[in-house]
Amino acid sequence: MGSQLALKSRIASTGSLEKIFNAQEMIAASHIAQAREVALNAKPYTDAIFDAVQTLVAHTHITHPIAKSNEDNPQVAVLSLTADRGMAGAYTSSILRETEDLLNRLEAKGKKPQLYVYGRRGVTYYKYRNYDLAQTWEGDTEKPGVEVADAISRALMDAYMKPEEEGGVSELYIVYTEFINMVVQKVRVLRMLPVEIVQMEHEEAGPTTSEQAESAMPLYAFEPSLEEVLDVVMPKYVRSRIHECLLEAAASEVACRQNAMHTATENARNLIEDLTRKLNASRQASITQELTEIIGSADALSNKEE
Amino acid sequence: MADATMHVNIVASDHPVWSGDAKSVTIPAYSGGMGILPGHEPVLTVIREGDLVVVDPSGARHSFEVTDGFISFDSNKLTVVIESARSISNQKLDESGIG
Repeated sequence: MGSQLALKSRIASTGSLEKIFNAQEMIAASHIAQAREVALNAKPYTDAIFDAVQTLVAHTHITHPIAKSNEDNPQVAVLSLTADRGMAGAYTSSILRETEDLLNRLEAKGKKPQLYVYGRRGVTYYKYRNYDLAQTWEGDTEKPGVEVADAISRALMDAYMKPEEEGGVSELYIVYTEFINMVVQKVRVLRMLPVEIVQMEHEEAGPTTSEQAESAMPLYAFEPSLEEVLDVVMPKYVRSRIHECLLEAAASEVACRQNAMHTATENARNLIEDLTRKLNASRQASITQELTEIIGSADALSNKEE
Repeated sequence: MADATMHVNIVASDHPVWSGDAKSVTIPAYSGGMGILPGHEPVLTVIREGDLVVVDPSGARHSFEVTDGFISFDSNKLTVVIESARSISNQKLDESGIG
């Protein structure tokens, strides 16, 4: 039975930890709303770009460099999306583990991966291990704006477009956390470049379908020329895909953090309950002991009198 | 075609800018200003920085200063995709449902 004073101070410190966890949980919950807003605002743009690319695919055969890979170049880029802050459970560590896996797999295939990292935690991890990073970005991992996506895609597109001798890469992989729902998030590896464009089936049913197909198929004008349209649209497409990944990673991060903090709060409460029980038991034990001593001595006194 | 309209949707990279019906739209196309009326042939065009003017069915003009991007017109639907847009000299801002 520990000393009552020690138990009391442990209860007090666990109580303040519980408050911190609880506050963090609430902060994470409020960030979810923000992350959702950023995602909702970016959605129409992403959809519009996607539609345009679908149109291009439907009407032409794309031979843009973004869509075809240069197999001879062994250099590939890996972008790993981590968090800026900790307290998000296994969020960053599972990304880092998956990144290590991917790097090993690529090296086994004879590729030379270059690592790009977004998020302070990931950057610190690799810097501490003296890892050679191609480029890093920090800040706003919880609500990544267009600016960050722009900076990242610019750097990666540059690397992709450069010839091999100047350090250009032939492929781009992104390691990020897919947001399935508030409870489930999954680490995924996505090959972003070269772009694989899959033609979507038109799902719209009804009388408009045949009309649309007729009017859409035969003539579609690309101005000033198909090549220039591709040059404008494809980088934007890649950027919006990267932004999508960032947004999904942000949603996952916030959800991870909320879950982690929820568990931590609950653990702290359980701990406080256990400690309080121990404290009570030890207090009762000491009272019982005092009583026994008093009764014992009273007994001894009355025995003497007899 | 006098009272024909088309659906216009203007989106910037970080937020939707304007959407609604319009009688005509003038865009800063690659090779100079380009007017688009309802029933235009399907087109995908690169646009430059400049002013984009939308005339809605009531005749009100909405002007936007836009950066580079592209437009696509198909099935009487015009989609303007740009990096960023700023609305200028817009009298009917509130009624047009700008988000």
